[in-house]
Amino acid sequence: MSAETVPPASSPRRVIDARGSWCPGPLMELIAAIREEDVGTELELLSSDEGSRKDVPLWLEKAGQTLVGMTSEGGVDHYLIRKVR
Amino acid sequence: MKRVVVLGGGIGGTTVANRIRRLLANEVAGGQVQIQVVDREGIHAYQPGFLMVVFDKMRPEETKQAESHLLHRSIELVKAEVEKVDAAQKKVLLKGGREMTYDLLVIASGSVLHPELVPGFSEAAHTFYDLSNAEKLRDALRSFPGGRIVVNVAGLPYKCPVAPLEVTFMLDDFLRSRGIRDKSEIHYTYPIPKVFGIDTVAPVMQKLMVDRGISIHVPFNVQTIDPAKKSMTSLEGDTLTFDLLVGIPPHRGADFLQASGLGDKGNWVPTDRYALTADGKEGIFVLGDATNIPISKAGSTADYEAEVVAQNVASVVRGGGPTARYEGRVYCWIMTGLTQATYIKFDYLHPPHPPTPSFAHYWNKTIYNRAYWDMTARAMF
Ligand SMILES: Cc1cc2nc3c(=O)[nH]c(=O)nc-3n(C[C@H](O)[C@H](O)[C@H](O)COP(=O)(O)OP(=O)(O)OC[C@H]3O[C@@H](n4cnc5c(N)ncnc54)[C@H](O)[C@@H]3O)c2cc1C
Repeated sequence: MSAETVPPASSPRRVIDARGSWCPGPLMELIAAIREEDVGTELELLSSDEGSRKDVPLWLEKAGQTLVGMTSEGGVDHYLIRKVR
Repeated sequence: MKRVVVLGGGIGGTTVANRIRRLLANEVAGGQVQIQVVDREGIHAYQPGFLMVVFDKMRPEETKQAESHLLHRSIELVKAEVEKVDAAQKKVLLKGGREMTYDLLVIASGSVLHPELVPGFSEAAHTFYDLSNAEKLRDALRSFPGGRIVVNVAGLPYKCPVAPLEVTFMLDDFLRSRGIRDKSEIHYTYPIPKVFGIDTVAPVMQKLMVDRGISIHVPFNVQTIDPAKKSMTSLEGDTLTFDLLVGIPPHRGADFLQASGLGDKGNWVPTDRYALTADGKEGIFVLGDATNIPISKAGSTADYEAEVVAQNVASVVRGGGPTARYEGRVYCWIMTGLTQATYIKFDYLHPPHPPTPSFAHYWNKTIYNRAYWDMTARAMF
């Protein structure tokens, strides 16, 4: 897993709070948000689900979206994502 | 007198009403408790039968019964559309202006199909998630000369998570039995990076697909469907063409839940996963597809949940508390061909491990399809 820190927001960042939701809940919430937002938007996904650690990066790679960084704090993973296409 | 109102006369609403009646038999007979079920049509659908209709294993009329024949005679059936719940006033507003008051409310309004959320879906896709479309798919298959079939799930959550797997395996078997499998391709698509959401089940299902020459496209989140070109594109940038598209449309909870301030973004009711009470609302229980609990939306889930809700309703009516707990129990058969099946049985703490597919499991499912009306809906045993 990435030990990168989540950089400060350069543009308005949409936070998707999927804490307490189980796999594939966080991924599906992310997909719904990606569908809605414009290219260039930054999204921060909060998840407490372990299974998502595999599925979220896998999906981002397949979908050609960028995982800018990921941190874990107090049992919550923060994924910073940029919609690039 | 205490009033218990159940919204929805589907699998969950019907069985929970009958179970509450059984637990409170004396109070109901004595007039201290009244149970009412509100349902739009008053026709009860056994939806698992729709998949059987596609492959001529059940007749359409075998999947429906009048709700009044299933509810105990002391339960009042109100045939009406629910428009709104006023949780503060403990009232239900029905279309046409009628108001009902309740002491305890059970929300069992299921899920609603939204094909219009995917451009081109309604024109291009066959579905088997409602009876008339299941019959259309059956007819299309009867004259299918062979070709490229795509199975698509438009989004999660959707009811009966195993149904897309089942239809895929049954299609494979059907094409073989018709002698046109070699002239056909089957492509299975799914929105997440695996063929099924549960980690202990996905590899087993994937192996069955690979063994049967079924192509897998995951993750695939459909964006648009072009009915003229018979092609579909995904959010991930992939395009697939088809001769026959079998699609599961997006699902949402019932509209009135949004209007009542009871639904989340998808119109699912935020629900305590153990007590099955609506979060922050007094006197409201939720079961079946209507909850936001992240487990399978399935008839079996609704049935197990109904046992808990019925006990809790009976306890609260008698002045106690909702002490029964739902531990996440689910049991679903998975058809892995026209005459074979496996099953998954699990709860919050114990993931499923499907056994080797067999005729015996298929036979049990067939028996349950007939036993459903007495066993589950009427809750007789
Ligand atoms: C093709 C298919 C195959 C399936 N196979 C299986 C299977 O093998 N095993 C399994 O366990 N599950 C299966 N399911 C899933 C199962 O049918 C559902 O999960 C189950 O019906 C949910 O029960 P419910 O009571 O929550 O909702 P439903 O049974 O859908 O009932 C909801 C009821 O509420 C009524 N209603 C909704 N809104 C209103 C309103 N505003 N006013 C009045 N009435 C309203 C509806 O008319 C309906 O009667 C399958 C589903 C499908 C479509």
